[in-house]
Amino acid sequence: MIARFVLGVALAAVMVVVGTFSYIYLGSRQSKVAVPPEKPTVSTPRAQAVVLPGTLYVTQSGALYDLSAGRFHQLTAEAGWTQPTVTPDGNSLLVVRQNALFSDVYVLNRFGHVVRQVTDNAAPPRNLDIGYNHWSFYPRLSADGQTLWMTYDGLKCHPECYDVSLAVWSMPFNGNIRQAHAWTDGGYYTGGDVQPIPLAGGVLYTKYSYGPDGKLVGQLWFTSRAGSYGRPLTDPSVDCRSPSLSPDGTQFAMVCTYEKQVSYLTIASWTGETLGPLKNIITNQLVAQPTWAPDGSGIAYFAPGAPAGPFQLWWLPKAAYAPPPPSPSPSPTPGGPHNGPLPSPSPAAAAPPVRPVQLTTNNGFDATSTMVWLG
Amino acid sequence: MSSVAGGLAYFIPAAQLAIESTGKVLQVTPSPSTLPSPSSSAAATVAPINGAFTVLLLGSDDDSKFIGDHVLTQSMILIRVVPSTKQVTMLSIPRDLFVHLSTGGSAKIDGAYSYGGANAAVATVEQDFGVHIDDYIWIGLLGLVKLIDAIGGIDVVTSNPVFDDYYPADIYSNWPYDFERVAVLAGPQHLDGLHAMQYVRSRHGDLQSDIGRSQRQQQVLIAIRQKAKQLSPADLPALSAALGGELKTSMGLSKVAQLLPLASSFDNPDAINQVILANPYTHGCGCPETYLTANWGLILPLVHEYFP
Repeated sequence: MIARFVLGVALAAVMVVVGTFSYIYLGSRQSKVAVPPEKPTVSTPRAQAVVLPGTLYVTQSGALYDLSAGRFHQLTAEAGWTQPTVTPDGNSLLVVRQNALFSDVYVLNRFGHVVRQVTDNAAPPRNLDIGYNHWSFYPRLSADGQTLWMTYDGLKCHPECYDVSLAVWSMPFNGNIRQAHAWTDGGYYTGGDVQPIPLAGGVLYTKYSYGPDGKLVGQLWFTSRAGSYGRPLTDPSVDCRSPSLSPDGTQFAMVCTYEKQVSYLTIASWTGETLGPLKNIITNQLVAQPTWAPDGSGIAYFAPGAPAGPFQLWWLPKAAYAPPPPSPSPSPTPGGPHNGPLPSPSPAAAAPPVRPVQLTTNNGFDATSTMVWLG
Repeated sequence: MSSVAGGLAYFIPAAQLAIESTGKVLQVTPSPSTLPSPSSSAAATVAPINGAFTVLLLGSDDDSKFIGDHVLTQSMILIRVVPSTKQVTMLSIPRDLFVHLSTGGSAKIDGAYSYGGANAAVATVEQDFGVHIDDYIWIGLLGLVKLIDAIGGIDVVTSNPVFDDYYPADIYSNWPYDFERVAVLAGPQHLDGLHAMQYVRSRHGDLQSDIGRSQRQQQVLIAIRQKAKQLSPADLPALSAALGGELKTSMGLSKVAQLLPLASSFDNPDAINQVILANPYTHGCGCPETYLTANWGLILPLVHEYFP
């Protein structure tokens, strides 16, 4: 009788253990797709230990970080900071701070402290209509540091219609928005003109509009004076955006989608007026925000670390898209001291292809935010 | 036995959702052969789906502006999957299309659901478009947000900046008639549920309005499918818990489990046909009611080509 009782208890215990184990095991079989990204400052195993030169500024979850000497440092709280760029003297940053209703351009020092607010896009407090707020994005300073370029929704037709097209605007850096004027018309119900890059003789930007095939596409455009129509630099069918000028000013990197849910890293030469042929150098990743190293040693960009995952930081060495010319192979000198049969020249071993390097593994960088890189 | 009991306990949330969502008792319970065995390192194996099938995907504003289940279906997408050829076709039906309803009378097609639920919406599409629909999936606003969050977000190349000064603030607001400003920037990015919802729902800033929105909805569907490749049947309880009350479907849990491995086998984005019924398939009526009139002479041959 006692033996039966003990056996029953033992069997019950085994059943509880096995059942619990099954439950826990099934839980362990869950995919890790919903694991939230970690802060860049959290010490995590890096996919490959590559230390980038200089200091790189990136944003994640509304906070500004810098990456220098292989370590991330959080410079601001998670408070809507995005799209950093740098002043021409390299001493300050221009950063957008976005909230639910509006966004403004701020000047921050290189340690992330606010120096001053440049724009004031909040609607007057007495005005309860949220349509009177404005957005500023993609700030850039002219080479002389006197003019602020940005994307701004100042042309919207509120309250007569719903169009909130963005246009390229310029304003005195030490002035206010009433001194700003539009360089482009912002299109019509398409999102408009964004990502201005001031250049000698004009401004280059991304224009979103309906292409000839009726699809919404991005194109790089250039316009030399405010209010002029401008001219396209890329074909609508290539669907390009996010231009980034190389440090020597002779090449542009961009991402092109060919009207699909892909995003190729593309480069092209730049003469100051026209783009050369487009060359796709990464076609198997969802590339965002390509940015040249200040010393010209490569291109950093964001791309998912795993399929359909959050965006990580990647690095493409220059050798991947501009391989060094092959070194001349030594050839025997006719009439030289060698007496025997000449060795047959052997072809130089092909250099292995240079691949992108994944620098972070479990972060979630803001892929719509530019990154800025100082030497 | 105890192993099966542990497995059944694990899948209880999914079973609950299946029962609540379909309104019927779960037809197939996970058996030991369909569950990952603790002694096996292999993932769960489920019988594959071989035959072509068609699903009607319905999406609704289901905030407190609406009473009970009397909601409109702002999004109606017919999806046909052919496992043998790995072809997928998505056809977006404009919500403003003026059609004969299965419940009688004529109205915008987005009203079919409000008059007779999912069955009426399915019957209306079957009747007007001449297709056979195997299953439907209805999802509410919050359901889509929760679904995308539960799978860890999606990667989308947003085609253009989507800006809207009068986007309905009806999901998390106490006042469902309130507005908020929306700014979804363009380009490749990782979207959480809320921003993905803003991207697919906003229409004020799009010249093509509902048609443009339909194209964005298809982009997000493809991105969800892409992410679903990484899910396993063991994720179903967590997904079920996230979706509680925001999803209704005629599919059983076993079919959902069958679809997960099927999703992973579709790896060619070029094999996905995206069809939008813009002009000349539909055109505005020029009337204050903003109906779209169907050109059935063009629509029906197109539908029969992709949905034989």
